[in-house]
Amino acid sequence: MFLHYIDLSWRSIKRTPVISFLMVFAIAIGIGLTMTSLSVYHMMSMDPIPHKSGNIFYPQLNIMDDGNEWHSSDNLPYQLTYQDAINLYNADIPVLKSPSFRSGFSVHLNSPEVKPTMEPARLVNREFFTIFDRPFVYGAPWSRDSQDTHEYVVVISEKINDRLFAGKNSVGQHIYLDNNSYRIVGVSANWEHHVKYYDVNNGAFNVAEQLYIPFSIAPLEEIGTWGNMNGWKHENSKGYQGLLASERVWIQFWAQLNTMQEKQQFGDYLISYMDDQREKGRFNREVLEFKLRNVTEWLEYNKVVSEDNRILVGLSFMFLLVCVSNILGLLLAKFLKRAPEVGVRRALGASKRHIFAQHIVEVSVIGLAGGLLGIAIAQLGLWGVRVTNSYYGALANMDVSMLLTAPIIALTASFLAGIYPAWLVCRTQPAIYLKSQ
Amino acid sequence: MLTMNNVSKIYQTNSVQTHALRDFSLTVNEGEFIAVTGPSGSGKTTFLNIAGLLEPFTSGQYTLDGVDIGGLSDNQTADLRNQKIGYIFQGFNLIPDLNLYENVEVPLRYRGIAAKERKIRIEQCLEQVGLASRAKHLPQQLSGGQQQRVAIARALAGKPRFLLADEPTGNLDSLMARQVMELLEEINKNGATIVMVTHDAELARRAPRNIQVVDGQLADFTLYQGKPTLAATRDNETVVASGV
Amino acid sequence: MLDIKPIFNAIRRSKIGAVLLLLQIALTMSIVSNAAFMINDHVSYLRKDTGFPEKEIFSFAVMTFGKDRSLSQQAEVDETMIRNLPGVINATLSQAVPLSGGGSTSTMRLRPSPETSKSVSVAYYNTDEHGLETFGVKLIEGRNFRPEEVIIGDDFNGNGPNTIIVSQPFVEALFPDGNALGQTVYFSNRPLQIIGIVETMKSPWPSSDRDEITALVPFIDAKNYQHIVVRADKNERANIMANIEQNMLDAYDKRVIINVDGLDKTKENYDATDVLMMRMLIVLVVILLLITALGIFGLTQFNISKRTKQIGTRRALGARKSAIVRYFLIENTMVCMAGLFIGGVAAVVLGDVMMKTYSISSLELEFIVGTAIFIFAMSIFAVIFPAMRAANISPSIATRSI
Repeated sequence: MFLHYIDLSWRSIKRTPVISFLMVFAIAIGIGLTMTSLSVYHMMSMDPIPHKSGNIFYPQLNIMDDGNEWHSSDNLPYQLTYQDAINLYNADIPVLKSPSFRSGFSVHLNSPEVKPTMEPARLVNREFFTIFDRPFVYGAPWSRDSQDTHEYVVVISEKINDRLFAGKNSVGQHIYLDNNSYRIVGVSANWEHHVKYYDVNNGAFNVAEQLYIPFSIAPLEEIGTWGNMNGWKHENSKGYQGLLASERVWIQFWAQLNTMQEKQQFGDYLISYMDDQREKGRFNREVLEFKLRNVTEWLEYNKVVSEDNRILVGLSFMFLLVCVSNILGLLLAKFLKRAPEVGVRRALGASKRHIFAQHIVEVSVIGLAGGLLGIAIAQLGLWGVRVTNSYYGALANMDVSMLLTAPIIALTASFLAGIYPAWLVCRTQPAIYLKSQ
Repeated sequence: MLTMNNVSKIYQTNSVQTHALRDFSLTVNEGEFIAVTGPSGSGKTTFLNIAGLLEPFTSGQYTLDGVDIGGLSDNQTADLRNQKIGYIFQGFNLIPDLNLYENVEVPLRYRGIAAKERKIRIEQCLEQVGLASRAKHLPQQLSGGQQQRVAIARALAGKPRFLLADEPTGNLDSLMARQVMELLEEINKNGATIVMVTHDAELARRAPRNIQVVDGQLADFTLYQGKPTLAATRDNETVVASGV
Repeated sequence: MLDIKPIFNAIRRSKIGAVLLLLQIALTMSIVSNAAFMINDHVSYLRKDTGFPEKEIFSFAVMTFGKDRSLSQQAEVDETMIRNLPGVINATLSQAVPLSGGGSTSTMRLRPSPETSKSVSVAYYNTDEHGLETFGVKLIEGRNFRPEEVIIGDDFNGNGPNTIIVSQPFVEALFPDGNALGQTVYFSNRPLQIIGIVETMKSPWPSSDRDEITALVPFIDAKNYQHIVVRADKNERANIMANIEQNMLDAYDKRVIINVDGLDKTKENYDATDVLMMRMLIVLVVILLLITALGIFGLTQFNISKRTKQIGTRRALGARKSAIVRYFLIENTMVCMAGLFIGGVAAVVLGDVMMKTYSISSLELEFIVGTAIFIFAMSIFAVIFPAMRAANISPSIATRSI
């Protein structure tokens, strides 16, 4: 019977091509616009590391003396001071943790053949790779030992490896970052993320860094941050060493806490640490304050999904509603015009359910066609987004789940439009339309 | 086959009440061929619609083939229509999108008959009305008489025991009307009970039994007395008019 | 007027059609008025004067890895080299590029801390005496930096500058009575005397609330990563930009030159998200209005086809064509007005919700009224053609059966 209904729908659509096209088009336009904004929203809000986003935590400490305000929603600084980051890393708690910040270098081989390029780099400790599950193409993270002895080692991305070493195993080779030679210990797989969740300083949708070097090299080479640096009080500090000892915040920090217990312990440690620092003259405040946010909470807190996008998603669903009410009108006209035929079918023994099913199938066919055309329109829209704003390049795409969502929304929209007309037409009293046609 | 006892139908629109049928009583026996006549607006069609379960009635009792219609749900009446009743309309009421074969197929599909069995029956019925060769044609490609024969084939396909015809020849010229009438007579001979509404006295006279509806009530059949062809067959009449 | 009652009854009888139309107009009204408001917001932002001659300016970043030269000496050499290129008006080192989204802000106060005093958050550009001309901002009071006032070094607190040029909004924020020239402000507890005031000079974040309180500070701290801003003749700029990397590397090759971008391009990149939002809103509004117009058109058409015979009868009974057109216009007006009223209320509610949830200012009434007038005019337009056709229905239809 279902196939028969589809056959009937197709005939009906062919019989009124203009109305049918209008309905398909209305759904398609609605879906096209909705899916364009929804796809971007989906990419922005997608969990970047689903299997452990709940276990990776970002600590924030309130380092300010009483009477100072921060511009964040909960009055906590977004980053840590250098000294706190170092102290937290060295704390005797057996969990994976790593400080990190973004910088950049000119990269070359100290030979005239290869023109130097500028590449963004990340300064981290070796645990960073484990916390974020970074796979290696060749080699591995540097050892604890090279980290502690300030060895000049580097993990390069596949992309750099392809460019400088034609994709061959380059572990053991040397490259120059600025004027220092670094030994390559590993080549990490390219990091294709939609959201740069581990550092939203330079924009949450920026590309990943191509180089990773030990955090311990920063003070030796006086490497400055390419991210934000904020202070909250006047300090007469001078130069890089002054910065390291200052109250300015510029370091990010991540810790992997697998259980509630580990989280509790880490939290307890933070309090005792701040208490300890207070005795040394810092943290002049009544109430010691910290926050441990996991990846999901961190992205939420940093308002990674743009406000504009939320508004657009809302508006485009309202737009879809207008399309639905339009289609409802058209379906009403179309179905009621067909009442005499329905009368005949009823007389010949069709139950209300038969009639309802027949019309709902027709509505679904229209909805599905509209959904498919809508995907095409959404592709056009996403192309427009990519052209307008290259920053959204990786975001303005439909993944499989969005491709599947489109027909579902289309079907829901068409049901919404079709249920009332189908119900109305299935209530047709057969007798009324039989007398004269 | 069919028993109506004091069936009434009142149409209620805003503040106006119309009595389309009042205390209408009638019995039709298995195998009968009845012609229903009457002036326009008398309630003939209402009677036919109620008899054919196309419309609910307001009060009274109606039994069709032993089933009390009064308490049936919409689905049950739909099934009864599908299994026991065949309809032939003045306007043919073929579905314009469907070809002849598919039109005849409609009631069989609703009955859930398998495709193979459907094919046999449809071909048989189209054969019977002489249109087997045009199964793939659309209704608008046929003449009025041919369309009505398709409608009859469609009514027959479900092998109904009870056939209702509403002015089946109303839209046809006299030659075609005769052909259709002959077809109905043949069907009646094969065992189906037929109730036919018509305002064509000539046609009505060909039916073994005539009844007349006037003002929503069954009028006295004796109006037709003095017409010898009918008088002879009316001897075994069991139920006549009722109401005052 | 006289027709309203029967029309109203007719609407009530065919209520589904009317309700649908009403719903559609109400939704359209609430979406369009809010979207139009937001579009207007974006457009007026994008059109705002930044104070910079964007088409004459370009900037690039220099990343030096060679350690064999003094960065500040090299910077002097580079600046002179660039200034001598034909077509170049001026060039300067600057720690931040205007309109780029990256730069520095600091609190400046009337008294040194920890004394409490009036303070303001300032986006500042560290530059030299060439900064004023290179940025192309308009000096309305005071004077430019003298070469000897520009401090080269890395110890701002110990051996920093003593002067500052500020923007007019800076003056308004810190010196409401206007007498700013010659006054002292404290930047990281270093007293700086205001020697000049420029009219408009946007910060590196033109779309934020830190967009116009800005300053030029005569302090050059040459680092291995720095920006150079160049102003050139509009017509020569592309040419100069194409060759700048080679020119710089010819002067000294142990460095990398990147991000050679015109200031208009820099602004375009910075504004891309706003432009995107604006474009999407415009697309949404245009299609929405089209769909609604089509909806009104279709529904009128449907109503007319349902009432063909009735219209024919009216014509047969002596109704003029104008009466038929008027009938449909009045019918449309009634539904439309009701829809616009409901939509107007919904628009205010929606605007209110968005204002509370997001950083959007509250919807202005004129956008609601403007949208209402526009939608009404559009609906008249969508009705008038089917109505005229209806008026042409022959009275003889009445005598024919359908």
